[in-house]
Amino acid sequence: MVNLFYYIVEYFKYSPKIIQLLWASSVVFTLIIIGLSIYLNHIRIRLRAKERIKAVYQKKYESDLIEYLYSGNGVDEISKEQQIIIDYLSNCAKSSLKRKIIISTLLKLKDEISGEIADAIQKLYCQTGLVNYASYKLKSKKWDVIAKGIKELAQFEIKDALNDVIEHIDHPKREVRKEIQMYLVKLFRFEGLEFLNILTNQLSEWDQIQLLEILQKFENQHIPDITKWLESSNNSVVSFSLKLAKIYNQYEAKDHIINLLNHSNQEIRIESINVLSHFGDIDSLIILKSDFNQRSIEEQVIIFKMMEDINEVSDIPFLLEHINNMNFDIKVSVTKILKKLKNSEANDSRFITTDIEYSEKTSLIKAS
Amino acid sequence: MNTSKKIVLAEDNSILALLLKYKLEKEGYTLLMAKDGKEAIELIELHNPEIILTDIMMPFVSGLEVISYVRNKLNLTTPIIVFSSSGQEEMVLNAFNIGATDFMSKPFSPNELIIRIKRLLFNKTIFDKTW
Amino acid sequence: MNLNTSGLIIDLIQYFFIAFTFSAILSYLILAIISIFENRHYMKKNSFVNYKDILSSTISPSISIIAPAYNETLNIVENVRSLLSNHYVNYDVIIVNDGSKDDSLEKLIKAYDLVKIDYVINNQIPTKPLREGVFKSTNPAFEKLIVVDKENGGKADALNTGLNISPNKYVACIDVDCLLLEESLLKMIKPFLETTDSKVIAAGGVIRIANSCIIKDGKLLDVNLPTNMLVRGQILEYLRAFLLGRMAWSKLNGLLVISGAFGLFDKKIAIEVGGYDTKTVGEDMEIIVRMRRHMEEQKIKYKVAYIPDPLCWTEAPDNYKIFISQRNRWTRGTIETLKKHKKIGFNPKYKSLGIISYPYWLIYERLAPIIEVTGVLYFIFLIVNNAVKWDYAFAFLVLAYLFTVLFSIITIITEELTYHQYKKKGIGLQLITTAFLEPFINHPFILYANIKGNFDYYFNKDIKWGEMVRKGMNKASD
Repeated sequence: MVNLFYYIVEYFKYSPKIIQLLWASSVVFTLIIIGLSIYLNHIRIRLRAKERIKAVYQKKYESDLIEYLYSGNGVDEISKEQQIIIDYLSNCAKSSLKRKIIISTLLKLKDEISGEIADAIQKLYCQTGLVNYASYKLKSKKWDVIAKGIKELAQFEIKDALNDVIEHIDHPKREVRKEIQMYLVKLFRFEGLEFLNILTNQLSEWDQIQLLEILQKFENQHIPDITKWLESSNNSVVSFSLKLAKIYNQYEAKDHIINLLNHSNQEIRIESINVLSHFGDIDSLIILKSDFNQRSIEEQVIIFKMMEDINEVSDIPFLLEHINNMNFDIKVSVTKILKKLKNSEANDSRFITTDIEYSEKTSLIKAS
Repeated sequence: MNTSKKIVLAEDNSILALLLKYKLEKEGYTLLMAKDGKEAIELIELHNPEIILTDIMMPFVSGLEVISYVRNKLNLTTPIIVFSSSGQEEMVLNAFNIGATDFMSKPFSPNELIIRIKRLLFNKTIFDKTW
Repeated sequence: MNLNTSGLIIDLIQYFFIAFTFSAILSYLILAIISIFENRHYMKKNSFVNYKDILSSTISPSISIIAPAYNETLNIVENVRSLLSNHYVNYDVIIVNDGSKDDSLEKLIKAYDLVKIDYVINNQIPTKPLREGVFKSTNPAFEKLIVVDKENGGKADALNTGLNISPNKYVACIDVDCLLLEESLLKMIKPFLETTDSKVIAAGGVIRIANSCIIKDGKLLDVNLPTNMLVRGQILEYLRAFLLGRMAWSKLNGLLVISGAFGLFDKKIAIEVGGYDTKTVGEDMEIIVRMRRHMEEQKIKYKVAYIPDPLCWTEAPDNYKIFISQRNRWTRGTIETLKKHKKIGFNPKYKSLGIISYPYWLIYERLAPIIEVTGVLYFIFLIVNNAVKWDYAFAFLVLAYLFTVLFSIITIITEELTYHQYKKKGIGLQLITTAFLEPFINHPFILYANIKGNFDYYFNKDIKWGEMVRKGMNKASD
């Protein structure tokens, strides 16, 4: 045995540098492999433990929450049973893992429920001191921690944190600014949209959708004047206000939207046509037909779609001009409209070229 | 004789299910819980409840399918209340087309749910008595 | 020949192989490091995203899931039902029955109350004609489903039919037997909506191996590690590729491949470039290269996105015959794609696509196996001629082997720290064991399949797709 060991050492000492290097590297690799394997085992044990804790405590917190909600006195004061639960949860909140579980449990219910129960959950969030941990996050230097803190404060609608949140409004990271926007809108609804006045960065579609979803959850809104946003130099703000116009039926903004029909950005022109189509506005249709040929093919498709709902017999000559249009969608739209207007003559196949497989649509399918 | 009305609730959010169970049992109803559409259908077939509450978006067998099954395959006139996070008009219309009786979009107030349940049961009782 | 010259030649050749190996190792390391940073960044960014908001939005863009099906009767009804229960509002499911010889269509008609309808098809991409036609359900609960029965034309042709039929803005092209998790569409559409400074043309996902996993009613209930060593090796291989490879390529905007099992595309651009190429077996890679090339030529700023979350689970081959056939096909697909687009190789006009992605794929994906096999043959030649310097060879081989094991273990750790899908006790050790065994169990067969693929490509023009035997995903098969 010892001989073998000496043999290896001798072999190594008298080998060329390269071989020494190769073997030394191999030894290093082997040690790293062993080290990483131990580390892997350690990670897995820790993760499994976490899962177990999560499963157990999730159940416990769920039943605690229900108990809290139903052991109230009907008055504003906190009952004895509730106090016990509050103290218990405050204590658990000291551990970051348990804190996460508590918060996710609270949110799991709060997102589905409205009314006094939702308010009670919010109160619980404050009473247990969880709100302090979130506020504390705002002071961090790391952007993801700040963003998480703002998000949590938004989810529990903590208005008191407004000043601390606003401090970060010019944060370099987009994610942080986005969370602030969502916070403002969630708590202050349409008033929270004031930031649109000065916004220079682009609001992505994703952002716009999320803001709109937050707004739509509230009822009986007083919609602010969106015209100043329609005239914004920030295209994403214009796009967002067009969506607002459509969802909240802002007919008063019609003229401003008609102006947008000549906007430099095609996407905005298309969105404007969509909104006007939704309004069923005949005036804009007249304008669109007048400069029809200057418009891009995508806009023309949308204009014909608009005409599927707004059409009259006097449109027939215009339609016949386009019945053999190169674009498939236009051809389909035109044929549909003609059918509506001229009941018998539209089936005249002399109008339809042979390169589309055409047959009648039944009421079961949506038009493609 | 057990006169407690039976409700089948299909909801995959465990804490919401717990809350509704607690609240509804307090009002005197018997709750039968299902975590997805398939379980819901099994419970409905077995117990023939007075009211069915179901979420729309559930894994595999959706709420819409549950309604369709109850109305078309089991031919029951049991009142069905649907809830959904999707406030989309199309979903709502679809649900009613298939045969839902009432619709509540999430987030909803549990108190309002109870009022609607009571109203539906009351109407059904009148309806059954007249026929 | 002069002994000195032959010695010199032998040395040179050896240096070539060693240099190639080191360059390959270096490239893996660079990609791995970039990937690890990207993974961390992605996890941070996504730790507080709320997908639920977009779930119910009326403005969320419309998506069509296109799933070609051929002789899938065993699972087709279940798979379709699973696709219909995705948590997204604005989508439909287009099943293209590609001339199946079995009763897939009948089963679907019965299960979903389908009736034939008349449908106007915009034949923007020429495809094989319809057979039985287009079907929709009379039951409003299945309103999202469209089934198309057409003459057999292959996967690419079926996908093109789907592209023609889809009324939506985006298309998700998938394999019908893939299990898509409920939030897949939500997560995949995000890059399209989030990116403001460039146009996202496609997004690719991660494929996870579903063998031995318990899937019931279209839901992934339990993740297990299969006992089959061949499959285990593939699991490691996929993890390496997805976690430590593609993540880096995505950051460099050099992703050349989106897995055919799950990819989301901008429909307009896919049609603009002419849809899938029916003449290649690597249609998933080829269309991405063509779409990228198109965008480069149009000089529009674009991006191919990549979502590392585990969203798509599918069965991997568990016997060597099918495994080799699959890898053979992948090889031929790579060769065909690279050949078809050789104009962009090393061409500065195509920027990183031409200068980095294409050369990398050419050298380390297409040529590497050939170089490796040549190296082995050369080694044998040396043995026969007693010219092997055993000290060097042995030390070198040991080091190379340990490197691959180390790389695999780093992959496993990355997986644990990110998605941690394999939670059960004992799997950690099993994966490490697999890391040690994989170079012997999988790798030689991959090399063999690759060489055969090259051979078939150049000399055997008749070969096409090969069969994949369906086992049925509901049973916990091992």
